[in-house]
Amino acid sequence: MKLADHCGRLLAEHGDHAPRLRVLDGDLADSDGAIHFATRHPARFLMGGIAEQNLVSVAAGMADTGLAPWVFSFAAFLCFRAYDQIRVCLSQARQPVVLVGSHAGGLSGRNGKSHAAPNDLALLLSLPGVQVWAPGDCADTALAVRTLVADPAPAYLRFPRTPIDEVHGLPGQPAPLRWLTPRRPLALVSTGLASHWALAAAQLLAAWGLEASVLHCARLAPLGALGEELRGVRRIFVIEDHCTFGGLGSLVHGLGLAAPVQVLGWPRDYCGQSGKDEELLTAYGLTAPLLAQTIRTAVADPTRS
Amino acid sequence: MTQPVSQRALIRPARSAPAVQPAATPLAEEAAELRREILRALFATGGGHYGGSLSVIDLLLTLYRRQLRVCPEQPRHPLRDRLILSKGHAAIALYAVLRRLAYFSEPLSAYATFGSPLEGHPDMLQLPGVDFSTGSLGQGLSVGLGVALALRTTEPTTEPATEPTGAPATEPSGEPAEHAEQAPRTWVVLGDGECQEGQIWEAAMLAAQQQLGHLHAVIDHNRFQEWGWSPPAGHREPREAQAPAPPVAELAAKWRAFGWRVLEVDGHDLDALERTFAQAASSQPFDPPSVVIAHTVKGKGVPMVEQDPARFHCATVTAAEHQTLLASLPCP
Repeated sequence: MKLADHCGRLLAEHGDHAPRLRVLDGDLADSDGAIHFATRHPARFLMGGIAEQNLVSVAAGMADTGLAPWVFSFAAFLCFRAYDQIRVCLSQARQPVVLVGSHAGGLSGRNGKSHAAPNDLALLLSLPGVQVWAPGDCADTALAVRTLVADPAPAYLRFPRTPIDEVHGLPGQPAPLRWLTPRRPLALVSTGLASHWALAAAQLLAAWGLEASVLHCARLAPLGALGEELRGVRRIFVIEDHCTFGGLGSLVHGLGLAAPVQVLGWPRDYCGQSGKDEELLTAYGLTAPLLAQTIRTAVADPTRS
Repeated sequence: MTQPVSQRALIRPARSAPAVQPAATPLAEEAAELRREILRALFATGGGHYGGSLSVIDLLLTLYRRQLRVCPEQPRHPLRDRLILSKGHAAIALYAVLRRLAYFSEPLSAYATFGSPLEGHPDMLQLPGVDFSTGSLGQGLSVGLGVALALRTTEPTTEPATEPTGAPATEPSGEPAEHAEQAPRTWVVLGDGECQEGQIWEAAMLAAQQQLGHLHAVIDHNRFQEWGWSPPAGHREPREAQAPAPPVAELAAKWRAFGWRVLEVDGHDLDALERTFAQAASSQPFDPPSVVIAHTVKGKGVPMVEQDPARFHCATVTAAEHQTLLASLPCP
């Protein structure tokens, strides 16, 4: 199941007990997860037309009257098409609207570059007062939804198009920030879907005799104690389904840690393109074996430690 | 200074009910006084949007003095009518009216200066009475649409947007609430230049589709914008030789085509404005939304500004010019 679908299901359940919840959607309800709320609470669902700028501002107006609106669309159309509306109506006006962006990141299947969002984090992380979540599994998603239903805030939830079913959750208990494996001097820091890639790469590295730990960030803003968690770590590789600038990699660089940091994500000149996940990940060096190989080579290079 | 949203949400409804705020002086007199205050404030702060503030002031004053039920002592009263100044660059005109209604006491001369709540464009987090932050053109009608939709199907509230766990859910019926007759109305003041923004028409389409009878747009149709259209490339006549084209041609026809009820009025005839606003506000919750196209003059009341709307869209004046501007207004 796509995590955005899971988000929609959970939100529909919360809707039974949270009468102020509203869901707005830009004619993608059957693709972006909003369908579950639309079916269960039709009177509290608004199909606002294929007009994302309007949708975001309408939600802000609803929030100003005390409602708790969630806006669903593809990440690309929310973040890029409606960026100014998010900036003015949510960030500057501090309106507690939650944005749910499905199909976030660089993998857009057959859709290709117009529907990809490999730089959504760069835009949303730079807005004051907007929470940014990148859940990696169903449990993370439940945590994010529960948190934002209980305490509405301007927020962006980014979900990949790639399905992540309930039996393939990340290890451990959901938290905004958590180690998926025991802490070690070599750390892979990852977020969202890419935490699955990082975990698989760490397993390969372990088989090669190189112990790496994985720190998973389900929430990127506010960032929390990432700097403290990484204190004492000797070498950091950030792995993310985002371009290498403006996302988690930039946040980790900004911590000013002594350990060298290398970011593995989509290259700066990547716009997105049509293709199966495996094809794209292979082409850009982001499959688990290719990531593990890059890390092993880098760690072995005495000039880069 | 207002509180952040999270704290404001905890304010309980006051005993006082929103009401129209009548003036102690005749409206025309007050309008002239406000024009004077606008000129002084813009001069004090070093310049600003003379033309659009002077064209919209009669609309704002008439709305606040004759039509809107508001509650200055409790600016966020849940049952108040809302006014969103979507053409936020005319902020000083809104501030002048809100100050008259005693929403705040800061001097207008502090407009757009560092540390003043009278931000260059309206900021709902800074100044009581500002119903929504604006400035980036084209967004106010959508916000008003969201407000009006919410007010139509739910009991207005200032309670936090969350419920205690296990609270019973009430599914909105989609029917207007019982207080429909007194239900708050939402007014959004637009510029005609602003109507070039695509988002305006996204909102216009959805508001008509939702039959939002309690949503009212008011357009300050002064027929000028900052620079204005250029003729098509290759056109025979140079720009200077052509009659200036309005920002949006066939404005009324466009709104009608989008499903709105259109009312037109002289935007400086205070009695006509009052009647037209009342006519707009006779709508029921599921009527079509209505738009008042107010035909105005950019810089109205100050000849030097009226005669040079391009310069005075956003202008700085000398001390001597400032005196000339003031002198052209009727004596207090």
